[in-house]
Amino acid sequence: MNELFNVNNKVIYDINTTILYTSSFNYTDDAIYYLNNNCIVITKDRSMETFEISNDIFELFHEEKLIHKKDLTKIDELKLKILASLNTTKTVFVFCNVLTYLDKAFKERLIRYLILNKKRIINYTTNIEETLLLDYLVVLHENKIIMEGKKELVLQEEKILKKLGFNLPFIVELSNGLKYYGVIDKVYFNNEELVNVLWK
Amino acid sequence: MEVAKILENKPKGYIYGLMGNINLTTNNTNYSIITDYKFNGTVSEYLNSPKAQSSLKMVLLDESYIDKKANDLSIGELKKVSLAKALIDAKDYLVLDYFDKSFNHKEIDYFIRLMKRMTSDYQRTVILFTNDITVLWNNIKELLIVDEYFVINTIPKEKYFEFIDKANEPEIIRFIKLMKELGLNVENYKNTQDLLKAIYRLKEQK
Repeated sequence: MNELFNVNNKVIYDINTTILYTSSFNYTDDAIYYLNNNCIVITKDRSMETFEISNDIFELFHEEKLIHKKDLTKIDELKLKILASLNTTKTVFVFCNVLTYLDKAFKERLIRYLILNKKRIINYTTNIEETLLLDYLVVLHENKIIMEGKKELVLQEEKILKKLGFNLPFIVELSNGLKYYGVIDKVYFNNEELVNVLWK
Repeated sequence: MEVAKILENKPKGYIYGLMGNINLTTNNTNYSIITDYKFNGTVSEYLNSPKAQSSLKMVLLDESYIDKKANDLSIGELKKVSLAKALIDAKDYLVLDYFDKSFNHKEIDYFIRLMKRMTSDYQRTVILFTNDITVLWNNIKELLIVDEYFVINTIPKEKYFEFIDKANEPEIIRFIKLMKELGLNVENYKNTQDLLKAIYRLKEQK
């Protein structure tokens, strides 16, 4: 894999990456680095350069109700901030623990949209379920990389993740249990696939 | 939305869960809302209390944090300091606004235990406002959902599954729904281990 960035001693490769971190990690320095390297960086509190949101985008994300909504909530504002960032020629989107505030449908539409439009995604999160959204996973604790690799491999390191205070994502935990009891022979990372294998 | 209105007529001394797309505000001086984590200066200046050290310990921060500046802290640490401040202020009502969003499971479990102790030992009332029902369902007296017209619905425990916004369904519920679509009769388990046993039993019967 090609190196995309070297961010404060962390190599970010040219692959959609989740950075799972424990609460002592401060992503501010990383966010500044990305900003200086021509990335779109979305944090919950930071205002940012925005572009016009087309009706097509509102429609695509099923968020037409936001067009005329008064009294926007913080979640509405976050969604608008993200939608307003999509009309850009920049190619790298960095989310700093913001996807966790959004509903799953919006999150999935966003990831799908960015991938279709050939954008590179880097998602900083403390939410283990979000590690399933992207291909590569880096696990950080106290500013150090504890492990990294394809998500399918890293998420099998249950002992290390537990030691860091993380449970496994639901589908991985369920798969592991079913595999242990001999019901299935591999770990699944997607609900539909596992259900179909169980009852084909 | 005025948070005190949401708890009107509710008994004190419990944890309540709150879900809905709203902004929480209050003018009621009996409430601490942990929603804005920023402060100026050092942790010591912000906490400004002889109880500062012990409060920090209760939120999983050691004594080295007392002299740190807000700018040097992560969001998770800022949230912990805000909670320490609320513990010192000891108001009757404590509102945690998406507090779970910077922590791992171990920390969330710890903070839930802390909130339970505050309600049972000190008769304080806690509102956990989040979009993640899994943080709430075994820990709250009642789930309150505020809809887009600001109607406050109190959801009985056995009906949590029916009232969770589809967009915020946890993975276990999504999985159970997929099973039901295939005609498989499974209960609405909240725990992966219970679901695992149920699937094992279903496979045995097959």
